[in-house]
Amino acid sequence: MSLREINPSAYANRFDGYTELRLQRNASVNIVLLNGDLSGNTRSDNSGVSSRVFQDGIWGFASRPELGEADILATIDDATRNAKFLAGRSGRAHVALPSHRASHSADFTTQGARRTQAEIVEFLHQLDTFITTEFPKLKSRSVQLADLDMEKQLFNSDGSSAYSNITRSLVVVNMVYINDQGAPVTLRKAFGGRGQFEDVFSQPSDLHAEISDLHAHLVNKLTAVVPRAGVRDVIMDAELAGILAHEAIGHTTEADLVREGSVAADCVGQRIASPLVSMVDFAHSYDGVTLPVPVYVDDEGVTANDVWLIKDGVLQDFMHNKESAQHFGEAITGNARAYQFYDEPLIRMRNTAILPGKDKLQDMIASIEDGYYLMWPSNGQADSTSEFMFGISLGYEIKNGQLGRAITDTTISGVAFDMLKTVTMVSDEMTWGCAGMCGKKQIIPVGMGGPAVKCQIHVGGE
Amino acid sequence: MASDNVDYCLEQLAARGFDHGEVRATLSEKDELQAEFNVPSMLRTVRNQTLELAGIVNHKKAELTLNKTDPQSVQDAVAQLWDCASAAPADAANAIAEAQPHQVFTGPALSPDLNTMCDRLDEFLDHTKSSYPSVTLGMAGVSHLRTRQRYANSNGVVFDSQRGHYQAQAMFTAKEDHDVSSFSYSGVSTYALDKPIAACASFDRLMANSAAQVRTRKIPQKFTGDLIITPDCVGSFIGFLLGSLSGGPMISGTSIYKEGLDTQVGAEMLTIRSLPLDMPAGYFVTGDGYPARNVTVVERGYLRSYLLDLYAARKTGLDRAQTAGGCYAVDAGTQPLAQMLASVERGLLVSRFSGGKPSDKGDFSGVAKNSFYVESGALAYPISETMISGNLADLLMNITAVSIETIDFGSSHYPWIKVSGIGIS
Repeated sequence: MSLREINPSAYANRFDGYTELRLQRNASVNIVLLNGDLSGNTRSDNSGVSSRVFQDGIWGFASRPELGEADILATIDDATRNAKFLAGRSGRAHVALPSHRASHSADFTTQGARRTQAEIVEFLHQLDTFITTEFPKLKSRSVQLADLDMEKQLFNSDGSSAYSNITRSLVVVNMVYINDQGAPVTLRKAFGGRGQFEDVFSQPSDLHAEISDLHAHLVNKLTAVVPRAGVRDVIMDAELAGILAHEAIGHTTEADLVREGSVAADCVGQRIASPLVSMVDFAHSYDGVTLPVPVYVDDEGVTANDVWLIKDGVLQDFMHNKESAQHFGEAITGNARAYQFYDEPLIRMRNTAILPGKDKLQDMIASIEDGYYLMWPSNGQADSTSEFMFGISLGYEIKNGQLGRAITDTTISGVAFDMLKTVTMVSDEMTWGCAGMCGKKQIIPVGMGGPAVKCQIHVGGE
Repeated sequence: MASDNVDYCLEQLAARGFDHGEVRATLSEKDELQAEFNVPSMLRTVRNQTLELAGIVNHKKAELTLNKTDPQSVQDAVAQLWDCASAAPADAANAIAEAQPHQVFTGPALSPDLNTMCDRLDEFLDHTKSSYPSVTLGMAGVSHLRTRQRYANSNGVVFDSQRGHYQAQAMFTAKEDHDVSSFSYSGVSTYALDKPIAACASFDRLMANSAAQVRTRKIPQKFTGDLIITPDCVGSFIGFLLGSLSGGPMISGTSIYKEGLDTQVGAEMLTIRSLPLDMPAGYFVTGDGYPARNVTVVERGYLRSYLLDLYAARKTGLDRAQTAGGCYAVDAGTQPLAQMLASVERGLLVSRFSGGKPSDKGDFSGVAKNSFYVESGALAYPISETMISGNLADLLMNITAVSIETIDFGSSHYPWIKVSGIGIS
């Protein structure tokens, strides 16, 4: 049953105070071929209703898995009762949230026929066969499909209504060799993005070139050298620039983390980066193209707008939900998002990116005498101080302006508000991805983008 | 919902033609009391139900999870499961647990005490304001979680279980003027809210640390030294070993411990156990359909058990673990913490590690967060922008002391651990 068949506005007469009513369904597919065996073959379908009520500065929240009329009414009543209970003990002076009415519908499910499970497994099997045929000496390989559809139907007491079905389909390939020292050497890459499987992947052969590229990098890693620890000149390629934008700056400018004490709190209007650096949390589109995680109306019923975080090196604005916008006296931005039907909306990024510059990647590499070209991240974490850490799964030495040997897995770190001041070149190419999940009480898909960036950064190693 | 739904699901799986079927029905409820920025902010009640179905036909297996229990939803799910299993390649390692006697498991703390939850949270907020005025609690909360579950399979296995526990957690930052500490956090799982939250786990110690870590310094120079790993991040340093003992790396053959049973993988003072039956955040039944047992994984430095479920055990030809992992405890050692600290000539006291994913052979590097520089046996000053690097397999062999003192998080239980030979830059 599509959530479109339920009209949440029909329950408005049950609302008591500011109230949100959200129906949501998350459907996921996870299929793993490990060395040709199907080690994972799971589907998940979770749906339900949640309601959130705001009274005297206190939120009440409740959720249920059933979607019947009585269940929806009971959920609203439970949320209202929770708000009244806690407000009775700990209520604060009356706080009015910003009022806003929005309406939008966005559906990113395929308009074509769905592939059968047999067709999808065959697609993955053909990829696995390609890998074993082309690269028979691999110690281990895996091919994984990870699909997620998030369907939401929202109505609130401001009169906002929104429907969305945001989809993502990823194929993740992992390869392992054993090097001359007998140690495993691994490299993985995710392909795909927004859309359902049918719209993202056509033929297995479409991925052959990228898988061969992945393998070529893995072969280079077999003779990788350990990087020299310390502050180095580096080129951070687009994927790293995206995670830098998200982790190192993005989190420090989420208004709830600003209230907690983030270093960004005192820096609005100040230069925190090179004038070459501009950064935006885009709501749904950039340069006329729909982004990986498009948000038109957020889970508080607010129109999602782009938020300029850094403009020409100067810190601009924070990302808000209704409560933080009211606290700071700033405009609502539409950044409140929830992952599952039973989750409350939190301030989350949508599609965060450093904007492209005017330099050519080759010129940037050529400008470094002794440094590193860092290409793919493995994971990342940020801090209230803007100190960040990213794992690096693929990188190369740069010697005298030329790419050299691959480097072993390592970690880079720095203080973003210092490091971004060292940026001297920004490439003119923009790459977007959405393979990761951001964790902040709940996980949620986010988009990240960026060009290549030349800067100085602390590299882990010997 | 448990018994009727499970029986109905098994009937439907058999009727569809599956050779083997298993069902896990779970009813979960959670009451969460939350505070933001040092004041109560939300009361959240979450109810959910899940049906986890697995079916095997001709050695082909698929799994499906849904949160609806009506007959039509179950029938649709079984039909979809059939399609998924039919499309899968056959694998002789696919199996379900063999016949076992029916068992019922009942834990404590099955009902929440909402007023005590409120009182404990208020007390914690007041304590934080008065004791650590520079600390802001970004998000803090007290929750009660309870589950009722039935696992059953077509071999006649039926396990019923119910359990509940409280959780308290807080994430916080200290700030003075324009200087701010790194964020920090602690959490505890417990059967009873019988003492102040701040006195549980590491709350008081870490909030005091944050207040003292607002202004940090870089270490004087790159060096090789000692680490004292606090209980808050022991999990980060033993996680590589435990992950390498699990199904994925063992099946793929990439685990560096794949030939390691009964060989030395750590210093003699290192004993690691998985204690799902002893911890509030534990479990009674494993995911593959067996009663959970407490298991010694590493005993005085020697590997005694892999962490393989039924499929991974059949795939590798090794023994199935009697635990599904998690709930890890490291045995207390023999040295007082003060003596360990006094023995450090030069090194770090590390409370949080923010690192990249280690390589398959255990090489790691990352940032020492919420940490202190230690010199001549005493804490010198809080640090920032400091990286540590080494090899996680070597690190376990280079443990030189384990503390008498331990911290019980309710989901794990760890002492302080001292290691030598770590690169610090």
